[in-house]
Amino acid sequence: MPAIVVALVVLAVYLLGYRYYSAYLAKKVYALDPAFITPAHELRDGVDFVPTNKHVLFGHHFTSIAGAAPIVGPAIAVFWGWGPALAWVVLGTVFAAGVHDFGALAVSVRHRARSIGTLAREVINKRARTLFLLIIFFLLTLVNAVFAVVIATLFIATPQAVLPIVLEIPLAIAIGQYIYRTRSPALVPSIVGVILLYLSIGLGQLLPISLAPVADALGIGERALWVILLFAYTFVASRIPVWVLLQPRDYINSHQLFIALGVILLGILVGMDRIVAPVVNDVPEGSPSWFPFLFITIACGAISGFHSLVSSGTSSKQLDKETDARHVGYLGAVGEGSLALGSILACTAGVAAATTDWERLYADFATASDGAVGNFTAGVGAFAGNLGVPATTAAVFAAVVVISFAATTMDTGVRLQRYIIQEIAEIARVRVIARNVTVVTTLAVLIPLGMALLPGGGDEGYTFGVLWQLFGTTNQLTAGLALAVVAVWVTRNSRNPIAVLVPLVFLLSMTTWALWINLGNFIEAGDWVLAPLDAIIFVLAAWLIVEAAMALLRAWRRPGEPAYADDQEAKAGEQ
Amino acid sequence: MRPSDVEGWRIRAAGAWRRVERFHDELFVAPWRQGLEREARRQGDVLRALLLLEAFGVDNPVAYETLDLVPQLVADLHEWHLRLGQERFGDPGVCC
Repeated sequence: MPAIVVALVVLAVYLLGYRYYSAYLAKKVYALDPAFITPAHELRDGVDFVPTNKHVLFGHHFTSIAGAAPIVGPAIAVFWGWGPALAWVVLGTVFAAGVHDFGALAVSVRHRARSIGTLAREVINKRARTLFLLIIFFLLTLVNAVFAVVIATLFIATPQAVLPIVLEIPLAIAIGQYIYRTRSPALVPSIVGVILLYLSIGLGQLLPISLAPVADALGIGERALWVILLFAYTFVASRIPVWVLLQPRDYINSHQLFIALGVILLGILVGMDRIVAPVVNDVPEGSPSWFPFLFITIACGAISGFHSLVSSGTSSKQLDKETDARHVGYLGAVGEGSLALGSILACTAGVAAATTDWERLYADFATASDGAVGNFTAGVGAFAGNLGVPATTAAVFAAVVVISFAATTMDTGVRLQRYIIQEIAEIARVRVIARNVTVVTTLAVLIPLGMALLPGGGDEGYTFGVLWQLFGTTNQLTAGLALAVVAVWVTRNSRNPIAVLVPLVFLLSMTTWALWINLGNFIEAGDWVLAPLDAIIFVLAAWLIVEAAMALLRAWRRPGEPAYADDQEAKAGEQ
Repeated sequence: MRPSDVEGWRIRAAGAWRRVERFHDELFVAPWRQGLEREARRQGDVLRALLLLEAFGVDNPVAYETLDLVPQLVADLHEWHLRLGQERFGDPGVCC
């Protein structure tokens, strides 16, 4: 089937979802009110609380939520065929991610732009705050571990990408300083910066960098060496003020995001590539079954709990009108779904132009997951080739995009992990950890480093897909917690919560089921690193189910009762 | 094409370019500037907390030397304590 047909059909479904389903959510479920005074106006401070045009805010929101995850998950999941992967991405985006991202934004706006963690404590109970911190701790640990492996794998597969990525750092700092000091419009310097970055790809092709000789001399695998170097880098990068490196690089990345999406869509349109992968792949015996593992392999791109942190953390503080939440929240999910669509097509159609033997690339789950990112870059390379860019240069371009996204996620991840460890240490009253930034940063780096390397070193470590799925489970649990908060709020306000309950129940069922199966597999294989980790996440999932069910029952029995401190104050004021 | 037409096109193109620049700045540069302002505010908050130690019941050994700075802090004191999650500052006459 031509990829362009699939792309157009999916985009049409997204459009219908936005036009009709999000309108239903806005009117009947979240009851948005155009006259409501949003926190951006009520608490306006010119820094965090700034009323922002809805199209501009959508851009901010989308560039914050989009990254490497909606690319990697679908690139692995096409192992089961493009049909199941695409169906979950489309249905997940329209009926789960849209509800979740939009709902988290709507609830946060109604409660002075509070974060989902704070809302969980208020709406469920104090334990929910601890539960939230623990889920986020494991989420960040696994995010940092999987993205270190993704970058290391790409550096080895595409040594031409190393130099552009290294040069991106001084380039980002220079652009940041230039814009800050001149205070002139940033369009021209940004164009120059992006052109310089892509020119450095040529330099990278002339000077590919491989660490194989160094790794051999040290007696460790090349991937393990890259992983260690990456964490050493993040240790330093996470201690530098955000405005020096992280933000300018994020700034370049946000341009790259739109360029990459444009290249994929235009490449599909011009090349008219056909999908060569089977709709449903006949996977070898012993492979994980698509039901339920598909739903934790694709988290970002179908539904991702991380989005609720962005919705409630930053976007809710900038919403000009409450009704804009529909545009920003729901369309943000659609944008992420479009990136996942691009990844599926790159790995099932685009990659076909680079290799005719798709079955070999997805021969078994280990091969599929280890080669997933490489398949995506080859696919995007093929799409860019349709636009006249030399295939090898285009593949390096795609690798640079993915590595840039993943590296920025790692920077942010280690930084956030530091705060989470400090908060957990405060609760546990371990002052040595809570008060010492060096100790906290060391822990934030060493824990995911160990996860990425153990056992047997990076080159003979876990099947990457297994680690990725564990990351998916924590991401889905975060989404479950956010959906539970939204569902309680909707129920307490005497509105029909079915649109929120269906994705909540589905998500938690699939995640706990997959965790349970994996736990059995790990114990059977005698894997005493992953088995306890899986068991802990399973306990967190069970705990979340119990807390969510209790909070929902309370809300069901006493509709109309204020769920939050603000609501209670408001009600007391009315009386 | 007459010179006045060319001039008209030039003005329209310059206007369009400025609009694109403005949109680009709002879309991409605003979050980055916000980050800078947030960092500046964080450093200001630390300074303010140090200067107002006595308001928290902690002796400030350099209170006499920093007294001149206090009037500069009163202007946005209300916004500061609201941001820190305190509805009232607790010192009638100074704020709220």
